[in-house]
Amino acid sequence: MKIFVDRQLCENHGQCAIAAPDVFRMNSEGILEYEENVNDSLLADVEDAMDACPVQAIFIQDQP
Amino acid sequence: MTTPIAEAPYLDISDPTFAMQSEALRNARDQSWYARTNYGIAVLRYEEVTKLLKDPRLKQGSAQWPEHHGVHSGLFYDWWTKNLLVLEGEDHHRIRRLLNPAFSPRLLKSLVPRFQALANELVDAFINKGECEFVSDFAEPYATRVLTIMLGIPESEWPTIARLASTIGLALGVTLKQDLHKVEEALTELYEYAEDLIKDRQANPGEDFVSRLVLASRDGDSLSDAELRNALVLLIFGGMDTTRNQLGLAMQSFMRNPDQWQLLAERPELGSKALEEVMRINPTVTWVTREAVEDFSYEGLDVLKGTTVHLFTQSAGTDPKAFPEPEMNLLGEHAPHHGFGGGVHHCLGHFVARSDMSEALPLLARRLRNPQINGADEWMPDSGNTGPTRLPISFTKGE
Repeated sequence: MKIFVDRQLCENHGQCAIAAPDVFRMNSEGILEYEENVNDSLLADVEDAMDACPVQAIFIQDQP
Repeated sequence: MTTPIAEAPYLDISDPTFAMQSEALRNARDQSWYARTNYGIAVLRYEEVTKLLKDPRLKQGSAQWPEHHGVHSGLFYDWWTKNLLVLEGEDHHRIRRLLNPAFSPRLLKSLVPRFQALANELVDAFINKGECEFVSDFAEPYATRVLTIMLGIPESEWPTIARLASTIGLALGVTLKQDLHKVEEALTELYEYAEDLIKDRQANPGEDFVSRLVLASRDGDSLSDAELRNALVLLIFGGMDTTRNQLGLAMQSFMRNPDQWQLLAERPELGSKALEEVMRINPTVTWVTREAVEDFSYEGLDVLKGTTVHLFTQSAGTDPKAFPEPEMNLLGEHAPHHGFGGGVHHCLGHFVARSDMSEALPLLARRLRNPQINGADEWMPDSGNTGPTRLPISFTKGE
């Protein structure tokens, strides 16, 4: 699946990196970095990250 | 250029008369991005608060709260030191991962009609009088009954929950040690509530919020009974006073901005915007506390490990550098506020708070027209979490 984070909305709280650490991480500056192409086996984690995002900035572009 | 620390403005934040919305604070903010205080430094401007809120060189700053107030063991100490607010690193992330899904915004949608019915029921009880005491007639029962709806306990039990939550709230006061006995009695009582709820949902799981917590699992891990109990107490502790206070502050802000109240009555779809605006200019959480985990330099200021850093939310939300027109404007486009904190400790229950308050505000605006202060109001100090304890208002009856 392909992940998209709307950087206009993202406030770098890092809740996604807690929910799905294999996909999202915060760099040493506290800025989000993430994998755009993610194995479908991580769908549940990515959905948790989407739900937990305080500003709801995470989207799956091609739902498996 | 940063003001050298010796010349930075000084704010006595434990003075009971200390006011966030004051000339002294605005002057300090004009002069410098930070101020010295009797308890660490205070960050006053939007840009710096926004950055430091999520800076990995700072951690949540309340872990030592009991010990700073002479409490080193016991029931409250054990609860506090294991609660999500003060946990860090993987200990924090594990619990947060397990709790977060129950707070999903998707799951809250079904509760919106109940929030609306509750708000209407409370307003029905006083609307014909043309006056009410807004805190005890609306804000407190609304905030507490929303919690009973979330927890799936009878709404008629709300006075007990309100009393216990307020008593445990004493733990956030500087008189913690002398109030400790009362706090621990209330905690014991809340634990019994929580244990009964957990046992019931373990035996009869459903689709409700507590069942979701009880059933939450991740990679074969789940919350222990003690962790569930701790989390339910945190929900009550963190969910009641804050919502009650924020509703009271909202009413204050709208009474100062009657054209905005009128606009909200006409356009209920602005409910979310109304809440965000109130939390930007008049938040109940007046500061978010952080502690430096290492020595570092920021904007020319040397911050030593262990320094307490208060991030001032109201001051940041009305900073003229970030908000050239800082007045409440439901039709304006304003940068995000920090009333729910931020970073890994961002308020866990914010979707609930946002949902229930953004339903209540337009409903109140439609039904209570032209609200005015009607007698003596009483307020908590501005330090930490603030709000009215008594707010008598009169109004013209709307629908």
